[in-house]
Amino acid sequence: MAVELQATDSVIDFTIKILLLGDSGVGKTSLLTRFAHDSFDEKVASTIGVDFAVKKLSVYDKRVKLTVWDTAGQEKFRTLTSTFYRGAKGIILVYDVSRPDTLRHLEEQWMRELELYGTEADAVRMVVANKVDVGDARRVSWHEGSDFARRHGCLFVETSAKTNIAVANAFEELVLKILETPSLLEDAGAHSGTVRLDSLQSGYGVYDYCYC
Amino acid sequence: MFFYYFSAVPLPVGSVCLSVCPAEGRLVGENALRDRVCLSGCVPELRREVWKHLLGLYPRGSTAAERAALAQKWQSDYRTLRQQWQSMVPAQEARCGSWRCHRTAVDKDVRRTDRGHAFFSREGSAGLRALRNVLLTHVVYDRDLGYCQGMSDLAAPLLVVMRDEAEAFWAFAALMERLGCNFHTDLQGMTLQLGALRQLVQLVDPPLHAYLERRDCLSYYFAFRWLLILFKREFKFDEVLSLWEACWACRRTRHLHLYLAAAVLVHHRRVILSSDLDFDGLLRLSIALAGRLELQPLLETAEALVGYAGEAGREVTAGLP
Repeated sequence: MAVELQATDSVIDFTIKILLLGDSGVGKTSLLTRFAHDSFDEKVASTIGVDFAVKKLSVYDKRVKLTVWDTAGQEKFRTLTSTFYRGAKGIILVYDVSRPDTLRHLEEQWMRELELYGTEADAVRMVVANKVDVGDARRVSWHEGSDFARRHGCLFVETSAKTNIAVANAFEELVLKILETPSLLEDAGAHSGTVRLDSLQSGYGVYDYCYC
Repeated sequence: MFFYYFSAVPLPVGSVCLSVCPAEGRLVGENALRDRVCLSGCVPELRREVWKHLLGLYPRGSTAAERAALAQKWQSDYRTLRQQWQSMVPAQEARCGSWRCHRTAVDKDVRRTDRGHAFFSREGSAGLRALRNVLLTHVVYDRDLGYCQGMSDLAAPLLVVMRDEAEAFWAFAALMERLGCNFHTDLQGMTLQLGALRQLVQLVDPPLHAYLERRDCLSYYFAFRWLLILFKREFKFDEVLSLWEACWACRRTRHLHLYLAAAVLVHHRRVILSSDLDFDGLLRLSIALAGRLELQPLLETAEALVGYAGEAGREVTAGLP
């Protein structure tokens, strides 16, 4: 992997933290992997605690660096995952269109968690209906999903991380909305909350990371 | 199949043998065995038997006959337990929401645990079926604990080593005796573990501790995955086996994994301090380190830290389960 040089960061206008929430197994990690690396692995391991990826985008002539935090859906880890809400400007709430309970839990659990732990009052929220590739196994209609999103003032997108439907669109739409919200950009300067390392060295060798 | 060597056979230097007294088959020199495993690891052929000793499946001082009887009992007890959920009829399952939740969670995780390993790679393989059976049987065995993500990571290597469903189950049950509280709803066990790690770092590297305190990182949540599943995702599969057996064999502390976590931080102290990492930065560092850590130097540092922390270290870990 290449070393992330400081020079690359110097052209970044905004750094934005995005959080992925939702039940275990709805495809949060797969959405992130599709978006950040354009790949898909059905056998990707469950997330323990939290995972993250970085993606750079150009939107409105602005260079935006997204740090996307992918949280564990496991209920028992909530005390832990709640600490990652801090500073998130965009929240993606994911459900699985083949499992109606995962949409119900967005309402009953994840929205409440967000009210409790979210730190940005104006954070942009998006509901993502994932796994639209399932065909006949689909149990939640577009209307049910979009109704839910509208009632909670969220954007709404249907996606498939597996067959690459609308994943990049979802993230881009979210970023557009964030860039249109001035209060969210006040402390989102290029280097806020970022780590810039020329290289990462341990006590016994040099690691070569893309660590951005 | 047994791999016991008799005590008359000299111990090869730098490797592990199981020596038993010829008359009754009692293990002799268990302490020496533990020290060797801790120092140089266990050869794969002996691992299955050695782990049963290390995990306490075999009582100390057991004779060969007692172990053989135990092995039979494991099989029949396991079958009884497994039968309890395998014999459930759909109408019964429909009336037990908590069971369905656990079953769904197990099914979700079995499909995505160690699928890169030959034992679990093939769809519908015996390995995947065995992992599901072990986890679901444990739900029945310990209903208070149930299933929690991370458990499949702990069970999979046990199956690979034991190559027997019943033995893997009892090894997993023994492991959960130690680690179960980490998976309780309130994460009480993890809170204690992370707190102990914080105190150990304070002991062995005060400047690093002061830094973490200043950056509001004393929750140590960046070490959550390391401790919950004993570094399972941080090292390659075979290294994990060596790591676990070193932790279980260590006679100086039952908490070598905490010293190992401290060692990881000490090894990376320069990058942490010089990059001025904040809470998010430390999390990202810990995630980025997965698959890039070298086990042997870290184990050596961990061992050294056990000595360095000394009595104060023992006091820190004294209250841990």
